[in-house]
Amino acid sequence: MNKEERLIKRYKAEKRFRFYGKAAIFMALLFLVVFLTKIFSTGYTAFQKTWLVIPVNYNADLLYLDPDKKPTTEDINDADFYEFGIETFITLDPDASEDQIMELKKMFAFTFERELKYYLLDNPDSFGKTVDVKLTASDDLDQVFKGNYPRDIPENRRRASDYQLKIFDKLNEDGRVISEFNASFFTNADSREAELAGIASSFMGSLFSILVCLSIAFPVALLAAVYLEEFAPKNRFTDFIEVNINNLAAVPSIVFGLLGLGVLLAVFGLPRSTPLVGGITLSLMTLPTIIIAARASLKAVPPSIREAALAMGASRMQTTMHHTVPLALPGTLSGTIIGLAQALGETAPLILIGMVAFVNTIPGTPMDPAASLPVQIYIWAESAERGFVEKVSACIMVLLFFLIFMNLGAQLIRHKFEKKWN
Amino acid sequence: MNKIEAKNVDVYYGAKQALFDINMDIEANKVTALIGPSGCGKSTFLRCLNRMNDVIDICKVSGVVKINDYDINQKDTDVVRLREKVGMIFQKPNPFPKTIYENISYGPEIHGIAQSKSEMDNIVEESLRKAALWEEVKDRIHEPGTGLSGGQQQRLCIARTISIKPEVILMDEPCSALDPIATAQIEELIDELRKEHTIIIVTHSMSQAARVSQNTGFFHLGKLIEVGSTDKIFKNPTQQQTQDYITGRFG
Ligand SMILES: Nc1ncnc2c1ncn2[C@@H]1O[C@H](COP(=O)(O)OP(=O)(O)O)[C@@H](O)[C@H]1O
Ligand SMILES: [Mg+2]
Repeated sequence: MNKEERLIKRYKAEKRFRFYGKAAIFMALLFLVVFLTKIFSTGYTAFQKTWLVIPVNYNADLLYLDPDKKPTTEDINDADFYEFGIETFITLDPDASEDQIMELKKMFAFTFERELKYYLLDNPDSFGKTVDVKLTASDDLDQVFKGNYPRDIPENRRRASDYQLKIFDKLNEDGRVISEFNASFFTNADSREAELAGIASSFMGSLFSILVCLSIAFPVALLAAVYLEEFAPKNRFTDFIEVNINNLAAVPSIVFGLLGLGVLLAVFGLPRSTPLVGGITLSLMTLPTIIIAARASLKAVPPSIREAALAMGASRMQTTMHHTVPLALPGTLSGTIIGLAQALGETAPLILIGMVAFVNTIPGTPMDPAASLPVQIYIWAESAERGFVEKVSACIMVLLFFLIFMNLGAQLIRHKFEKKWN
Repeated sequence: MNKIEAKNVDVYYGAKQALFDINMDIEANKVTALIGPSGCGKSTFLRCLNRMNDVIDICKVSGVVKINDYDINQKDTDVVRLREKVGMIFQKPNPFPKTIYENISYGPEIHGIAQSKSEMDNIVEESLRKAALWEEVKDRIHEPGTGLSGGQQQRLCIARTISIKPEVILMDEPCSALDPIATAQIEELIDELRKEHTIIIVTHSMSQAARVSQNTGFFHLGKLIEVGSTDKIFKNPTQQQTQDYITGRFG
């Protein structure tokens, strides 16, 4: 082979290599786009909610209240809105049979009693009058309205019956079916009914877990890193510790879950399913990440700064606290945010310590039982109902939003506050 | 009177001996230059005088270093008090990544020298004036010290050091990172500072040693070969090695 041929071959090889590289990047981007498209196209409907606006006659007789006296809050609270609701639904089809009445009722979310009651509490003037009230549609009709349920399959394989669809279409023609922003997705706790299920509980659970995790992991990791980097003598023992911190970072998260289960719950008897235990477990996981980031940032502070402070007569402690740590803080903080973002997306250890329980209350403190966003995704993905499918995607979108937000924050801190040394 | 007396100083980095039995007296209010080929232990000796070698884990110092007749190598010597008395300027200017003002106020602050804000302002101004930097920076003392030129940064470091009025100032090749004009400014400054401080300067430039110092010590391979008045060392050294180094035959 002569020189010329070798040269051509080399160019070709290089060209091929570039092509493979581009193809790899293209593949990665393609996966990302497909994934995001899928999530968004299934998930965006969860942010909409279907309501049925029906005429309600707040008749005193139907509510067994005194028609001549304005009802007090207590009267309204004591009144039976179930029977009242049924009577109201019958007005949609006065000829309905017993079975059909039940079907009418099932067109609404089971919260109709509460919704009817709250409307009257909020609008006491409606007493004795007929007014339009907005009621949450059942999950099935919600899905029908969003086009997620096919209507042309045989009735016995459909969740919404022909009868329900007939009534629904009539309401729709009258403009009585409306679709609005689904605020309850953000304000409700989890529910067995898809149309009512929200992420408030899991969001607060995640928030509390992350806060607990941060308040434990950050100070401990910073202290450990500062001690190792600035004070500890460099010997076999500290080498050993260093190796083990790196090992700790490689431990699968589920192992930390087992630790939480075996130690925090079994030995210390901390309350199950709570963000407190979740946060402590996650902090064990986050600890090595933050220690490694903090040590790298401390290492990056030039020795000349320490020398300058020491030569001015600052003690080692003062040198560390006044100069080294503040200079290492941006890097440490961005490492911390990355660690917390990892913790936020963590599922396995939380499942082990019981944060997978069905929680239909919103936790007020880290000591209350709660789910977390990734576990919520897991719980909903396990549910058979169609209504939860869009919720899964929506919950992933919320989680992704926070993860991207946190990572951007970490980037920002790194670029904005980290000192460049020349 | 001798400000500093070093007796039988040995320094080891791990198993490697860097200084061999150094005996040297340093006069007060004079500039003493330490010269010698690179790696001969000048910096190591300088760092013995404010115990900066303590920072290096593997470094072991033995012998006696007396400052004002007090042995600073004792176990219970307070290095904070020592370094308050013995300041140091480094080869590469190392201002804190803070404002000019904060760079200078740091020392007085940690040593509790200023009682009030106005007193601190005075110290800052006075230190900058003494370091011949005031006129150049008086309008931007609240801007970062790292934004100054190399020569200005080094004078800032000098201002920082003299803010706590040390008796001794150690300078380790303070001009090696600077251009000739900045170097001249610093040399002028050193002569001025001599009135109030005892100065020991490591330099690899023999002309600089000749210009700024009254006394000179010549180091070679970890040993102090010869010490005496700068005049004598440069014009009439007693040791052949010194003669060879001065005339540029090695180093
Ligand atoms: N931190 C250190 N660790 C190990 N050896 C060192 C260290 N600093 C200096 N030395 C060694 O000590 C000797 C003297 O160094 P130094 O005092 O820096 O010389 P100079 O300042 O005269 O160039 C050199 O051989 C150098 O390799
Ligand atoms: Mg040196």
